[in-house]
Amino acid sequence: MAESVQDNVERGDGDNVKTENFFTLKKWNAVAMWSWDVECDTCAICRVQVMDACLRCQAESKKDFYGKQDCVVVWGECNHSFHYCCMSLWVKQNNRCPLCQQEWSIQRMGK
Amino acid sequence: MSKTSVAAMLKDRNQFSFAGKWPCMRPVILKLLKQEAVTQGEWQDLFYSVHLVCLWDDKGPPKLRDTLKVDIMDFIQQAQQRVLAHQEEQALLKAYITEWRKFFTQCNYLPTPFRQLETSLAGKTTTQKRNQAEESIVRKLMLDSWNQSIFGDIKQRLQDSAMKLVRAERNGEAFDSQLVIGVRESYVNLCSNTMDKLQIYRDNFEASYIKATEEFYKIKAPEQLSLHGVETYMRYAEVKLREEELRAQKYLEPNSASVQLLTDCCVSVLVATFKSAILAECPRMIQHHETEKLRLMLKLMDRVPDGVSPMLKDLEDHIASAGLADMMAAVDVITQDSEKYVERLLDLFRRFSTLVKEAFDDDPRFLTARDKAYKLVVNDSTVFRLELPVRQGTGVTAPVIPTKPVNSNNGQPESKCPELLANYCDMLLRKTPLSKKLTSDEIESKLRDVLLVLKYVQNKDVFMRYHKAHLTRRLILDTSADSEKEENMVEWLREVGMPADYVNKLARMFQDVKISQDLNQQFKEQCRATIADSINIKILNAGAWARGSERVTVSLPLQLEDYIPEVEEFYKKKHSGRKLQWYHHMSNGTITFCNKMGRFDVDVTTFQMAVLFAWNQRPFEKISYENLRLATELPDTELRRTLWSLCAFPKLRRQLLLVEPSTYSPKEFAHDTRFWVNHEFAIVKNGKLQKRGKINLIGRLQLSTERSKEEDNQSIVQLRILRVQEAIIKILKMRKTINNAQLQTELVDILKNMFLPSKKMIKEQIEWLIEHKYIRRHEDDINTFVYMA
Repeated sequence: MAESVQDNVERGDGDNVKTENFFTLKKWNAVAMWSWDVECDTCAICRVQVMDACLRCQAESKKDFYGKQDCVVVWGECNHSFHYCCMSLWVKQNNRCPLCQQEWSIQRMGK
Repeated sequence: MSKTSVAAMLKDRNQFSFAGKWPCMRPVILKLLKQEAVTQGEWQDLFYSVHLVCLWDDKGPPKLRDTLKVDIMDFIQQAQQRVLAHQEEQALLKAYITEWRKFFTQCNYLPTPFRQLETSLAGKTTTQKRNQAEESIVRKLMLDSWNQSIFGDIKQRLQDSAMKLVRAERNGEAFDSQLVIGVRESYVNLCSNTMDKLQIYRDNFEASYIKATEEFYKIKAPEQLSLHGVETYMRYAEVKLREEELRAQKYLEPNSASVQLLTDCCVSVLVATFKSAILAECPRMIQHHETEKLRLMLKLMDRVPDGVSPMLKDLEDHIASAGLADMMAAVDVITQDSEKYVERLLDLFRRFSTLVKEAFDDDPRFLTARDKAYKLVVNDSTVFRLELPVRQGTGVTAPVIPTKPVNSNNGQPESKCPELLANYCDMLLRKTPLSKKLTSDEIESKLRDVLLVLKYVQNKDVFMRYHKAHLTRRLILDTSADSEKEENMVEWLREVGMPADYVNKLARMFQDVKISQDLNQQFKEQCRATIADSINIKILNAGAWARGSERVTVSLPLQLEDYIPEVEEFYKKKHSGRKLQWYHHMSNGTITFCNKMGRFDVDVTTFQMAVLFAWNQRPFEKISYENLRLATELPDTELRRTLWSLCAFPKLRRQLLLVEPSTYSPKEFAHDTRFWVNHEFAIVKNGKLQKRGKINLIGRLQLSTERSKEEDNQSIVQLRILRVQEAIIKILKMRKTINNAQLQTELVDILKNMFLPSKKMIKEQIEWLIEHKYIRRHEDDINTFVYMA
């Protein structure tokens, strides 16, 4: 708002009638969508889109879907990403990335 | 025992012989036969005498039996004379029954003293295996003699007159029913066939009773029908069926199949014969809601093979034609007004349900017929159609869509019902005049009604799509009337079997809105007060809200542009691994507009805001279309639409923007069409100019761009194709091999909560899956499919 007032002051002289701005913002309801910053939007382990909860979580969510149900994404050093739930089960059997066979180590976790 | 006493007894032996005893036994026996009084002493002496004769006289028992027989025959002969003295049949019957009754009673008494006789006679012939149930010799002797000398000769005459009596009773004359019963008892009891005691009864009495009944009604029934018409006849038939059943219980042998046989015969002659005549009245009765008569008809038809199914058909036809006619009669109203449409549908449903309840007592067969026909009404596409596009062979981007060009007619028209249902839901859940007018309970019951109709909707996927779009608008614009009800609705959708992944997404949307509220709170605490006051952010899960929808670029007013990095930075601190995309076509706000008329709060979309703010630098200038395009960077269609909403907003007396030259549609805007702010703008209320006030120019919030809207219906079809493929694979994975018919059934079962796949679509997708080696046809049978892992 400060800026528009400023604008008005700058140009107000020319128009000389207005002391107040023409249109001023009162409230802005901004909408944005978030998604995981991933290269492939499908989890290679459960074949569900990473934006959706993994299969396991979806099945459980039938019981209490309002409960804490955050099925986050995990990135490996190889930059491949999967559902954290899926990957944590995977590494119990094989500590390699299912896509590139590199040793699996977590680079970062989605939050 | 001493020798003397034995000798004494032997001396007396003659006393115990048959010859010695018979003279004193005989009078008592004769008295018994004639049903004359017998003293207790005489009765007991008879037992004793029989006992003595059997015990002491070797030849006694046969002698006793033979003489007894002579006496019984004598008695019977007398009775015969008495009976046959009557020539006239009624009198004969009466006389016979009197004698028979007497004799039959004695058949129960006379054998008792002779039990000893039976044991000794039997002891000689068979081993002692007699049980009491078996008929005693004396009784059999009595009955056999009766049969031979009386009944055998006159049974036909007796039977005939008995039937005459029954006939008279049918005609309303009263008589002693014992007369008929007596004849029947004679038949049953005089049967000598020990294997099947009812044989003679069945062959004679029962057969002739049934025949007489049939003949009687064969004449009466058509007479009644032609005299009084079907409706009265149905009542007649019903009453007669009941009467005959009661009569049969009286006159026919109870422990046999007789009553059932008679009833069957009556049903056949009274009902089955006139089945078509009766059924012909059914459509008219249904039409006129004549529930009592229908009830009666069902009662009758239920007893006839294949009697009910024509009625079911009539009901279905009626519901379908009356329902559609009703819809067509109001076609102008209901295609425009989803409230009226849904109310009308519900009204029809209630009407048909009442009919089924009152006329058929909610018989499950009729409920099924109602459902079937109602489904037809709901999904009929003649009232209004939703045109689904013919799938294009090329230009389809989804990887699993068949690439060969197929001219499929998946574009067959569908009913708009699901869309209107969703609109109606929206009216109930949004803050609207309708939802304000109703109480919470009323809204709830109306939502339940929607779910009821939804049950009959074939293409629930269309409903889901529209319902979600409406919900999105309500949540983003914060226009829900009652958030608790919103969430209840989600649960109800789950309960009626909407697909879980869909319902989960709706639930996720509510969750997101709550998360965003918390987020705003935190944002306010952390940021500059000025920003926090004027911005409200909703950061939503792209997967749940906006998969596939396309964003539109816009050059935001600087002020708004400045907020964005601040929000992004804030968000980044809270979350990691997420990227944000701004959906400016969904965002909106309130601006204050000051001119010489007053000061007004205007709710606008962000696009409208971007356009209007262009005048902040030059309030009195006329700006050309081209320059506005450069300033806002909006795509052509979006800019046209936005400008149109500002200079031709419906129901607004004074518009915010003025345009030159004036146009009738957004398409007519040219590059040099000029726009300027209406400085005379004011809100007009009851013909008076207001100095202050608030108006909303948002209208229906745009969720997708013009282009993607066109693709909307296309994407319904594409989604259906994927669903069909998915379902086929699901089934084959489980079954490994399956034939075509079975596959179709299971497929419909899986998909029925979303849509009804057309045969053609199924066929095409099977072909596609075969082509891509997901499945193959069986070597021996081309109609069987095999899963290929």
